[in-house]
Amino acid sequence: MTEHGDGLLRALGRVEPSRPAVLEAAREALWSAVAAEMLATRPPGDSRRGKAAGPEHEHRRRDGPGS
Amino acid sequence: MDTDDAMLIERSVRGRPDAFVEVVRRHDSAVHAFLARRAGRQAADDLLGEVWLRAFAARGGYDPARAGARPWLYGIARNVLRAHWSARPDPAGVAGRESADPWDEVVDRLDSAAQVQTLVSALRALPVTERDALLLVAWEQLTPAEAAVVLGVPQGTVRSRLHRARSALRPLLEET
Repeated sequence: MTEHGDGLLRALGRVEPSRPAVLEAAREALWSAVAAEMLATRPPGDSRRGKAAGPEHEHRRRDGPGS
Repeated sequence: MDTDDAMLIERSVRGRPDAFVEVVRRHDSAVHAFLARRAGRQAADDLLGEVWLRAFAARGGYDPARAGARPWLYGIARNVLRAHWSARPDPAGVAGRESADPWDEVVDRLDSAAQVQTLVSALRALPVTERDALLLVAWEQLTPAEAAVVLGVPQGTVRSRLHRARSALRPLLEET
């Protein structure tokens, strides 16, 4: 294909940048699944909120939905 | 990149599911654009979360030899799009695909509208398998090897589909 043809093809696939709110909403759905799995895999008798509950987890979670 | 996608996915399988969120952060704009190019922005907005849920559920089967997860994620996004289209009231896809087709609005923004219309017509006339291969390379900038991962076919198959697609489009583009 010609260089011009490739350029047209690329132009055809150009889209506006994704909106941050949309990306956040999709991550929120993922976080729900992550949280459910963390709770489900908590060892018997473990009273912590989740297997990965700790400073690093809390730091990551602050970047999640609702932040 | 300090940690590649494969390492994060492996970590997410081995007791740290939250590690998967970092993978998503790296690729969410690209996957959203992948969806928007094929189904329009509104559908992309609606379907992105479904892609992440499916990817999260399927991460145990990720091939750790592949450092970058983007082709794998595009493959999942492609499956989500197929399910989306097949669930429409018009499963033949004629009316549904046309109404969700983002190309018309793109055409309006381009100067060389006549050439673009010719190209769109030619793309629509291609077999779906050839068009998919061509657009993965042209739009997503994937290598044929990466496109093969998305499509779940051997690399040689992608190369021959690309060759046929380019051969079909070349005369049309050279005429305009």
